[in-house]
Amino acid sequence: MKIKLTSLLVDDQDKALAFYTEVLGFRKKHEIPMGPYRWLTVVSPEDPDGAELSLEPNANPAGREFQHAMFSQKIPVAAFEVDDLDGESARLRKQGVVFVTEPFDAGAVRLAILSDTCGNLVQLYQPKLPTAS
Amino acid sequence: MALSDAEFTLICRARRKLCDLEEPSLTVARIARESGISYFHFIRRFQAIFGTTPHQYRIDARLREARLQLAAGASVTEACFATGFESVGSFSELFLRRVGVRPVEFRRLARVQVTVPRTLPPAWFPGCLTLMRNLPAEAFRNFRDVATFTRPVGSSQ
Repeated sequence: MKIKLTSLLVDDQDKALAFYTEVLGFRKKHEIPMGPYRWLTVVSPEDPDGAELSLEPNANPAGREFQHAMFSQKIPVAAFEVDDLDGESARLRKQGVVFVTEPFDAGAVRLAILSDTCGNLVQLYQPKLPTAS
Repeated sequence: MALSDAEFTLICRARRKLCDLEEPSLTVARIARESGISYFHFIRRFQAIFGTTPHQYRIDARLREARLQLAAGASVTEACFATGFESVGSFSELFLRRVGVRPVEFRRLARVQVTVPRTLPPAWFPGCLTLMRNLPAEAFRNFRDVATFTRPVGSSQ
């Protein structure tokens, strides 16, 4: 069993593709039309054959409600690891990204939380110790 | 751009008001004023956080609700007025531009796709895309094959 796919609800797939590729810097992996929606996935350029993130439409009212509640309670629905959190957040802020939580030390990681413009809060974290690899 | 906790709460509350169909005449300017944020600042902030203007966000929310009502069997006129639009003609044009079909056509398509009463047609309100239709094999290629086939020649394994 492997973790190769995970998904995120987005309120607009075009907007999501633009944000996750042009702003965050992920790469589009799949874009397969499915009726009014698309099977749309992105990967990290640092690990293009690694886990895919599927950007799924939140057209289902249950998904919308979940997304709204998580956002309003300031709970991030995804977390991405970065090597240099302060550098990344400065870069993203220049591109107009809104941080609801500025970088701060939280035990073993340094983290920040941003709005993905598609209805989600996303956490970026930098482990303080180098990861074993 | 950083956002204080207080401002975050205000923006979330304003977003809820924008989606409130009970108050269709509430203007964006008034929502901003009630939130204690200046009009232009509110629009800029909202756009940076949600990727669209408050006005467009509200139109999207109303069209989404209209789609639900049409799928549930409401007439075009009923859906139009229940979601805060004032003219069936302009509602129909806007719906066509955003959804891709006219409301009357959407209603017909949605209704024939509902096989169990009080459920939503899965093509228009998908739950899980992988269950919705058969994804082609290449969609899953990455998971199984790529690691095997793209490993550089000469590397171990």
